[in-house]
Amino acid sequence: MVSEKDHNVSRRQFLTYTLTGVGGFMAAGMILPMARFAIDPVLQAGAAGDMTAVADVSDLTEQPQRFDFSYEQKDAWYTSEVTETAWIYQEGDEIVALSPTCTHLGCTVNWDANEDYPDQFFCPCHGGRFEKDGKNIEGTPPTEPLHKYEVEVQDGTVYLGKAEPQI
Amino acid sequence: MKWITNDIASFIQERKYIDTALVPLLPVTFGSGVRQSAAMNEFISIISDELERQFKGRMLLVPPFTYLETEDIHQRKERLLEWAAEMKKEGTAHIIYITADSEWKKAEQSLGDLLVWMPLVPLENMDMEYKRQVVSEQIKQLIPLIMEKWKMDT
Ligand code: FES
Repeated sequence: MVSEKDHNVSRRQFLTYTLTGVGGFMAAGMILPMARFAIDPVLQAGAAGDMTAVADVSDLTEQPQRFDFSYEQKDAWYTSEVTETAWIYQEGDEIVALSPTCTHLGCTVNWDANEDYPDQFFCPCHGGRFEKDGKNIEGTPPTEPLHKYEVEVQDGTVYLGKAEPQI
Repeated sequence: MKWITNDIASFIQERKYIDTALVPLLPVTFGSGVRQSAAMNEFISIISDELERQFKGRMLLVPPFTYLETEDIHQRKERLLEWAAEMKKEGTAHIIYITADSEWKKAEQSLGDLLVWMPLVPLENMDMEYKRQVVSEQIKQLIPLIMEKWKMDT
């Protein structure tokens, strides 16, 4: 555990170092920790078929948190690593994982990102907004709720499948 | 939106929403700087792809503006401004240039619009997970800049 911590510090220092150069205008200090899950390749290879291991249940809270995960996708020409993001929260027994892709034109939405709209998903592109459960808020551009990932839990690990429309 | 037929169809249809062009600026050389040129290409394409993913509904990632490393800065700036004029003429409200080539900083004033210069991060020897972390931290720094630009321009 201790060595992992040390490791993080040196990474952070490295990032601070590299970022100090970005224009004059970027504040280097504001690196936020991000909820992430180191995907064990053994798990990834898939007890759960096409599902990907994304998070530990013990890391979930009632507030949606951002988890990044990636998997390989075969295209007609090449295989590529695709990175996806899910906003995941737990309420009672239910685990909800929402796709961050705005249903208007596809920008990435963020939870609680706009001071004027706390506890909503906010789209930076044209001000689209969604409730915590993904429902689109009327009067903003999106016309349907955020898509929802198929969720499966096995041995305390959250696996996600495909994101499907809620309606 | 990407410069592919599928996305361009949406671009044509939803043009009033997709009002921003993201233009990577890439130096090319076949001489001793070829390694550096490749590294910049790799780094800037990863960053611009990721920005496109974040801002898909408002940003069109156009093919990179390339130039020989030896091309005089004034000359390449003139050529770039022609691109800009064409994009503006066709209704692009905001242009964001992204590059790892520090030469452009000399031209920053006269470019107008937003020039994002990123110091080159050597991604070549990083493992996947670490690479992703580095890129995502960089993106996190860029997002507010772009949103600021949108706010300022309106
Ligand atoms: S893409 Fe989200 S509001 Fe337009």
